[in-house]
Amino acid sequence: MQTSALLGTTAGIAGCLGEGDDTLTVGYVLPFTGVYSLLGDSIVNGFEMYVDEQGGEIDGQEVEFVSRDTEADTDTGVSVARELLVEAGADVLVGPVSSAVAIAMMQTVENESSAIWLNANAGDYRVVQDGCLPYHFRTSFNDWQTSAPLAPWVYENVADNIVLTYADYAFGQNSRDFFAEAFEEAGGEVVDEVTVPLGTDDFSPYMGDIEGSGADAVYSFFAGSDAVNYITQFHEFGLDEEMVQTGSGFLLDEDSLPAQGNAAVGKYSLLHYASNHERTQEFVESYREEHDETPNVYACQGYDSAQAFELAVTEGGTDPDAMVEALRGAEIDSPRGDFSFHPETNDPVQDMYVREVVEGEDGPENEIVETLETVEPPTWGCSLD
Amino acid sequence: MLESLLRATLLGLQLGVTLALIAAGLTLIFGMMDVINFAHGALYMLGAYIGLVIADLLGSFWLALLLAPLVVGVIGAGIEIFSLRPLYGRNPLYHILLTFGLAIMAQGIIVEIWGARSRRIPAPELLSGSVSVGPVTYPVYWLFVLAFSTILIGTIWIAIERSDLGILMRASAHDTEMVDALGVDVKKVFTAVFVFGAALAAIAGVLLGASRSVHPGMGFGVIIEAFVIVVIGGLGSFKGAIYAALLIGLVIAYGALIAPALTDLFIFTLMAAVLIIKPSGLFGATEAA
Repeated sequence: MQTSALLGTTAGIAGCLGEGDDTLTVGYVLPFTGVYSLLGDSIVNGFEMYVDEQGGEIDGQEVEFVSRDTEADTDTGVSVARELLVEAGADVLVGPVSSAVAIAMMQTVENESSAIWLNANAGDYRVVQDGCLPYHFRTSFNDWQTSAPLAPWVYENVADNIVLTYADYAFGQNSRDFFAEAFEEAGGEVVDEVTVPLGTDDFSPYMGDIEGSGADAVYSFFAGSDAVNYITQFHEFGLDEEMVQTGSGFLLDEDSLPAQGNAAVGKYSLLHYASNHERTQEFVESYREEHDETPNVYACQGYDSAQAFELAVTEGGTDPDAMVEALRGAEIDSPRGDFSFHPETNDPVQDMYVREVVEGEDGPENEIVETLETVEPPTWGCSLD
Repeated sequence: MLESLLRATLLGLQLGVTLALIAAGLTLIFGMMDVINFAHGALYMLGAYIGLVIADLLGSFWLALLLAPLVVGVIGAGIEIFSLRPLYGRNPLYHILLTFGLAIMAQGIIVEIWGARSRRIPAPELLSGSVSVGPVTYPVYWLFVLAFSTILIGTIWIAIERSDLGILMRASAHDTEMVDALGVDVKKVFTAVFVFGAALAAIAGVLLGASRSVHPGMGFGVIIEAFVIVVIGGLGSFKGAIYAALLIGLVIAYGALIAPALTDLFIFTLMAAVLIIKPSGLFGATEAA
């Protein structure tokens, strides 16, 4: 990663020097070190795979990449965003991963008004609620989408009572709120909730509370190593025999499944991506060829960011306001399924997949149980149209 | 209620003995060599990753548990001989900076080789499933970790208290110059202690790598707990590390029962309380200095 960051820097300086050039500058505002580096790397892989497929050019112009490490830190994120906009003359910002960074960056992007911003991950609904910024387009998801639409499905197909377990930080809390509200609206009962500190290795102290809730099903938000630990230990403690595990798709994603192994089988989750979707196959195969692993949802988000960028440039050139016009309400031919930007919020309106983990040939994999088509997310008072 | 309490107790003890494996090495290394080894968490993490590779290649958890500590021991010898040894006798700050740097390097190397995805060492079939311990359902594997670590720690304890080697180690920790003057090659003893500490950390890495995820941040989380244990137990005291590890294990387990978000607060409050009442830790030997 160090080398590519270095190459990015030189390319960025070169881009600055060539005034009035006909190259496009992509600024990555992503974490390349620490626990979130996996997400940053995946987004870059996806983005550059799409550009490579276009012969390295977008709308006949060469593309340069400038990478800056946000270290998933808000202050660093803001200074990185400013540097990319002002010094590197970025035409587009891609990133960040953390919603806290996204919320912190917002003012800077608005003040400069010199580029569009493709939010390739940060999913907190407040990025839209508090920001409601025309330059901001979310090529990823929002946290309502990965939780609320699952609730009526769980109520109808799994159980009418549930215990909620989640990592105690903004994303986990939002997921809990959105799910609980939708589940109760559907007629279900939330019997208890178990809060676990973010970054917990040992979930066993919480297993007793989960079991003790007496619920027939669990809805969870955990991601990364938390998801691996939680799912593994849930299985080890024999809770599989007593309740059905459901959750956001990050609980059981391509990155975690190999480590979760058999413990993941039979569990349900909701995500805007499923690597065994028919429509996704081409994307999965070319990604595998290049990187020797199944692309995760973040790679897909990066890939779609590149598609959005192409669309913006083709129709709007490099004038940020024209690019915004081009993207408003636009549809993208995403490998993940139907995708368009909501005209009021620039949030994605997309297909969501209820997936069940089944035993595949090469270990556990997600099988689509039901497709919730183009689920319309709330607008949280944001009205850009 | 009784059930939760019993479960938390089992869990606290299990956590305690595995933490003891990590803290034991840390405290011995400090006691004898005056080295505050920030790379100890990295050795624990290396143990897990190397265990992962061995389990993958040879298809056996048991071989991973046997071989990973040996490999990490060799790496430990390299670290001690080539990086720590030239700095003995200097301000301890040099060792802190050096070992902290080593820990960051190890993390970088691990991400470079294995990537940032979480992984897990497959636990042996034999130990899968769960059993009833009184009213509590408890995973067989975790009972194994509890038993294995207890036996290992117990054996080491007896060895340190009773064997000639243990006496030599304790003597070296107590008065390095005297032992040196008696004709013992203290350099070799230092290397041996460091290797031993590294191997113990690696054993903990393999044991926990089969029930918790193996990921590049795992070393930093555990090192804080391990240092707290060493401080509570009394710097350099093996016995203190064991007691303190069990205490911290129980505090974490009961803490999660009462108020999960406050577990860290409980741990550091306990540390502060011990240090106020007994500044040298539970079994610290200030008078020996």
